[in-house]
Amino acid sequence: MKYLEFFTIDVWTMIFTWINMAILFTVVKMLLFKPVMKILDQRDAEIKKIYDDANQANEQAENLKREYDAKMARAREEAGEIIKQATLSAQRREAEIISDAQEKANIMTKRAEAEIAQERKKAYQEIKSEISDISVAIAGKMVQREITAKDHEALISQFIENVGEV
Amino acid sequence: MDVAINGPKILFTLPFAGGINITESVVHGWLVVAVVTGVCYWLTRDLSVTNPSRKQIIAEKLVTLVQGLVDANMGPQWKHMVPYIGTLFAFSFLSSVMSVAGLRSPTADFSVTLAMALVTFVLIEFYYYKSKGLLGFFTRLTEPVIVMTPMNIIGEFATPLSMSLRHFGNIASGAVITALVYGALAALSQFILGWIPNTFIANIPIAQVGLPAVLSVYFDLFSSAIQAYIFVMLTMANIAGTAD
Amino acid sequence: MEKAIVLAASAVGIGLAMIAGLGPGIGEGYAVGQACSAIGRQPEAHGKIQSTMILGCAIAETTGIYSLVVSLILLFANPLVKLL
Repeated sequence: MKYLEFFTIDVWTMIFTWINMAILFTVVKMLLFKPVMKILDQRDAEIKKIYDDANQANEQAENLKREYDAKMARAREEAGEIIKQATLSAQRREAEIISDAQEKANIMTKRAEAEIAQERKKAYQEIKSEISDISVAIAGKMVQREITAKDHEALISQFIENVGEV
Repeated sequence: MDVAINGPKILFTLPFAGGINITESVVHGWLVVAVVTGVCYWLTRDLSVTNPSRKQIIAEKLVTLVQGLVDANMGPQWKHMVPYIGTLFAFSFLSSVMSVAGLRSPTADFSVTLAMALVTFVLIEFYYYKSKGLLGFFTRLTEPVIVMTPMNIIGEFATPLSMSLRHFGNIASGAVITALVYGALAALSQFILGWIPNTFIANIPIAQVGLPAVLSVYFDLFSSAIQAYIFVMLTMANIAGTAD
Repeated sequence: MEKAIVLAASAVGIGLAMIAGLGPGIGEGYAVGQACSAIGRQPEAHGKIQSTMILGCAIAETTGIYSLVVSLILLFANPLVKLL
């Protein structure tokens, strides 16, 4: 077995080392650094894209929220207005209804009073005519026969009975 | 008991150009290339953007680690150096750490580390030329005064020399110390069990259990990682320094 | 005889060369101590301090490694013996 010296500069070893290093450089660059760097760049780009998308979405959401808030405020205002209006009109209507009812009640009371008065007049008239009829009848009877005391009594009770019937 | 400290073994000789010696360093370099190719192929087989598998996460971690190192020490304008730095680190670390498996580290051969450092040296000079132009490339050697020119030239060549010597020295000294300790422990085993007449039992290297593992953790794993890191750091610092 | 003298001188040389191990040891110890106090003062700069310290230590170690390389060469690939 032959050995080189412990400390030598062997040109062929150097040349082969250079060849080895060149091969190794090519291998490391082509098989490791190039693909991995490509992947890393792609990932960076993707992350950047995701961030951009998220920012955009955020902005959109913010815009929507602002719009919505404005709409809400307007709606609330409108609702308040509507309620105020409704309250006002309801109050007005209430007053109207009450005054209406009162008026109607007044009219009805008056009418009822008038009716009552009329009825009373009518009843009075009726009673009057009845009484006169009965008086006439009594007079007729008195004329027809002699009136005894007993008859007299009977006549009066009959009259009272008749009156009671009326 | 003899401990032989040798250079890289000549595995075979190609019979042309006056005999090209193919040493262990070269073959183990091929091993590193094969391992890295296999691992890279396996790690990046089916990558996905949204749903990374466990091995993809490892691959991404490795890539971002090297990217972060280059970013922190060189700046973002040196992005194109990332694969070279990764290659250098992988080659240096895997070559050194190979000794865990009992294989001779290619980086314990000065030819290999010198070759690695010379690549860095060429890159340094190239980027000096690129950033300063042809005139500035030469005039920078005469600064601050013209008398300093020889010193500057020596300093220019000292960079790859010191880098390669440092890497070689650390890894080779680790290998030498490991070999010496193994030899000493073999002698100790011989001393403990040598009296037994049965040659098989007498040759069991009983003392080699335990201690070499501790040494291996330091010299193979720690030292390899640190030296690879330092080599890469110096490369980055020197190349990034050409831009000022 | 000559070889023995060269080898002995080499061995002495190796020993002398390794004295250079002193410098990096002191320097690195000082650097690590400073780094520790820096981390104590600014724990959040821990990563930066650590990497700078390791780089500085590596550069400070250079002279020690040179001496180690010299001694390894003299030990295992002694060029002086071949000159005989």
